[in-house]
Amino acid sequence: MSLFHHQQVQTHRQGFSRRSFLRNVSTGALAAGTLSFQDLMSVSAEELRQQGRAMILLWMAGGPSQFETFDPKPKSSSAGDKKAIQTAVSGIEISEDWKNTAKVMQDVAVIRSMTNKEGNHQRASYQMHTGYIPSGSVKHPSLGSNIAREIGNRELDIPTIVSVGATDGAGFLGVDYEPFNVNNPGNIPNNVAATVPTQRYQKRLDLLGRLDSEFASRGGEVVVKNHSKIYNKASSLVQSPQTKVFDLSQESESLRQQYGDNNFGKGCLLARRLVEAGSTFIEVRSNGWDNHANISEVITPNSQQVDAGMAALIADLKQRGMLERTLVVWMGEFGRTPKINARAGRDHYPRVFSAALAGGGVKGGQVIGASTADGSAVQDRPVTTTDLFCSICQSLKVDPKKENMSPLGRPMKIVDGGTVVTELFS
Amino acid sequence: MMNFSAKRMTQIVCIFLFTVLVLLCHSSTFAATKSSSQSNKGDRVGETAVAEKVDQLIEAELRKSKVEPAKLANDEDFLRRVTFDLAGRKPSSSEVILFGLDSNPDKRKTVIDELLKSEDYAVNWARYWRDVIYLRATDMRARINEAEFEEWMTTQFKENKSWDQIATDLLTATGDVRENGNTALIFAHEGDPAELAAETSRIFLGIQIQCANCHDHPTDKWKRNSFHELAAFFPRVRVRPVRDAMPRTFEVVSMDQGNQVAQRMQMLQDPTMLFKAFDRNRDGKLTEEEVQRTRMARNFEQLVSRADKNGDKALTAEEIKSIPVPDNARRFNTEYHMPDLMDPTAAGTVVHPVLFVGTKAPEGMKDLERRETLSKFLTAKSNPWFARAIVNRLWAEMLGEGFYMPIDDIGPERSAVYPEVLEALADGFTANGYDLKWLCRTIANTRAYQRVVQTKIEGQPHIPFAAQSPTRLRGDQIFTAITQVFGVDDLQSNRGGGDRRYRGNRTARGQFSSLFTFDPSTAQEEITGDVPQALFMMNSSAINGLLGTNGNTKLAQIAREFPKNEDAIPELYLLTLSREPSKAEMKICQEYIQATDNRNEALEDLMWSLVNSSEFITKR
Repeated sequence: MSLFHHQQVQTHRQGFSRRSFLRNVSTGALAAGTLSFQDLMSVSAEELRQQGRAMILLWMAGGPSQFETFDPKPKSSSAGDKKAIQTAVSGIEISEDWKNTAKVMQDVAVIRSMTNKEGNHQRASYQMHTGYIPSGSVKHPSLGSNIAREIGNRELDIPTIVSVGATDGAGFLGVDYEPFNVNNPGNIPNNVAATVPTQRYQKRLDLLGRLDSEFASRGGEVVVKNHSKIYNKASSLVQSPQTKVFDLSQESESLRQQYGDNNFGKGCLLARRLVEAGSTFIEVRSNGWDNHANISEVITPNSQQVDAGMAALIADLKQRGMLERTLVVWMGEFGRTPKINARAGRDHYPRVFSAALAGGGVKGGQVIGASTADGSAVQDRPVTTTDLFCSICQSLKVDPKKENMSPLGRPMKIVDGGTVVTELFS
Repeated sequence: MMNFSAKRMTQIVCIFLFTVLVLLCHSSTFAATKSSSQSNKGDRVGETAVAEKVDQLIEAELRKSKVEPAKLANDEDFLRRVTFDLAGRKPSSSEVILFGLDSNPDKRKTVIDELLKSEDYAVNWARYWRDVIYLRATDMRARINEAEFEEWMTTQFKENKSWDQIATDLLTATGDVRENGNTALIFAHEGDPAELAAETSRIFLGIQIQCANCHDHPTDKWKRNSFHELAAFFPRVRVRPVRDAMPRTFEVVSMDQGNQVAQRMQMLQDPTMLFKAFDRNRDGKLTEEEVQRTRMARNFEQLVSRADKNGDKALTAEEIKSIPVPDNARRFNTEYHMPDLMDPTAAGTVVHPVLFVGTKAPEGMKDLERRETLSKFLTAKSNPWFARAIVNRLWAEMLGEGFYMPIDDIGPERSAVYPEVLEALADGFTANGYDLKWLCRTIANTRAYQRVVQTKIEGQPHIPFAAQSPTRLRGDQIFTAITQVFGVDDLQSNRGGGDRRYRGNRTARGQFSSLFTFDPSTAQEEITGDVPQALFMMNSSAINGLLGTNGNTKLAQIAREFPKNEDAIPELYLLTLSREPSKAEMKICQEYIQATDNRNEALEDLMWSLVNSSEFITKR
């Protein structure tokens, strides 16, 4: 019932914004015959915003081992203790802890030939979020912020970009595209509920606005402008009926069980609800993949948690007819060494690792690229970070070559270089 | 002119008399010690002279560009600004009033000195440096000794340790991280030579040498070697867990000898010694019998299983040599190896320590010798970057923009605004033995620092230092201001969850600071706040619990003690924004209260709006 209500509100808002946009265009530029190419582009960009494309990034912080996940090597020296299991797609085997994901393999494409050079957590995370190597002089926006900027619904009360767990931010794109952080998925996020009745809250905001304009006239103009932008955004969230989206108790008990009664599972369920309500980019983070020691013990509970959440998410999206427009990506900052070290763990290894994609037009049930028999290098079809990012852009219909101006006055492409991994979409 | 209610007036007179007395007592004792401390100064340069020189240089430059510098800020704005900058807090209502009433022409200079003497000064800057170091930490476990670092750094500032001394202590730290706060920088990067090279250069020299990690620096003259030669000061630093320690802790140690594992590995790579010692029958094979009761006995079986190719249960030299070197062998190196970019798994080439702006260090030094040598090179008077980096940083922190932006990228191929001003300050700072209080005092005494704030107008060329720019207060400063406003020592912490970036942060200040914190090396334009911060200020129970007019909150007191709105409103402004309201503001507030049936409710709304205002979180 309430879901239906959400969609009603949604359509209404979108319809309104679109009409007003077209009205603005027609009374102004169109009538005068001065509509530039740029404007025409933005008309189609506006259309794009209505299509509700979205991405859910399942981020494995710490660098998940490819051997214990999507690229098992049971017969090699790099095997470790895990067995490989069959999946719903014959010929594709994954590691034994991923039984649920194995069942939805027909919707999943695995890339086993991801390759990169960065083996430091922070730097690699940065690169795998932004597509750029960290640099002292410019803070690059994360791909999620870029996507939210390109195709996010501007009229949405709830945030277009959400992260369950802290992540890299919008960089030079600024606060409008800063991910909204949710620490305890399942509950209304901290401080979203107002402490006074709506009418009084509105009165307070008006008073605040009037007092702030005084400071603006005394040299604080820019500060006040930024501040009121943020307060507008925050207060429309506070006053929105849509904050119910954060309340998972509206979902059936059995579905919640399927996703898993833990932060990752709840995060995945929240991600689906957010996409449904109009959000564009949601990152759900899982910690604890930096398994330098005792990998085969430590990785199992972690894998099982992510396996349940990820598989439930893909199945749920599919069942609701949302999978076609929602891209799900599973990845971490790098892979792990073929050799098991002296502490029975694996160390950082960016040279070859795996990523998995589902939905968003991706053809499931296939493996792209391969690592060598011992897993120490790419055997076939290397895929770089920028290749992957271009592919993500393709799925979301975002132009990866679009340039945004960085603060230092240097135009920067959303993705610098790289080519689409066409097999993903064939 | 200020208008005070009768109640305020009595308070003011009392406080005023008291302060005069205190000042008199102070000045007599102070006078006695003053002459002796000054005579030690030798060729130290006076801050007044340098401040004047700085202003003349800036003003001459502005005249050339036909720009009129902004007028000096009024007392209220100056006092709030300098109190936040030097002591990390807002001035109290009484401080604002008394400062305004003080007719001493040197009162700004005096208050600067007073603030520098306060404990708040030490705490404020210790927290600043905590953020500089930990917000770039590559090893998040490092946060376990954040509090120890803050305490250690506070002591350094309290004792006014010179900047070269602090830098040296940070670079040469050893021992348990929970007992030695100065291990912060090394612990933050797990003792990793490359990260330490990057951060040492960035923090102490303002040079982003890490761009030369993989290639010659794209925009500076540094070669790839320079970066790795700097890293070569750190290859023997180790951070390791202290065994069985509760709570869990780590220690920074030197690994000068290599350790047993390294020795064993060496032995296996060159087994001649082993055969000399154990191959009793000299048949070129080691058997289990031969190594019995020797130190090889324990691992012999394992060695055989890995290396015995012909299955004779004995090992030849060749077989032993064939045992592969473990991947993590790098951990046991006592020299720094520059990675081979074409073959990242190879050991790389040994590089010896050289500081790119200094000189070459002798080869093969012990860990602490290396780090001490690096500190000497860094802090040498012949290295101008050491003084420039900190001067640029503190100036930018206090004026909202630096000579170089971003503040930690000031390499030789960058160009500074007003380079001669930076030089004057850096020279004075160096001549005064890298005295940080001298630097703060000098900057705070310039007219450039004391001007009114003006918005940068978009599309117009911006002239730096013609006016102050409004800047965002740091998380700790806002937290302290909130506790001051509500008259509490602490806020209620959120027991349910950690916070955005780090888990296990249980104190209210810690939670607040991680919500509001930003890397102090970030340019002001990039610090704009975010929605969760706004939500906290608007709706958190921590703040709303203190906003009521019931009970004994600060607001309840004001509501009671100042029954007239025209008195209560200025009190609220003094309390929150450390200034009197303007006429227009007074009118807005009075109308608001009159339009609301319930006075207390209206006062709550007013207080809420002031605490949520952009001015509250901005240094003006």
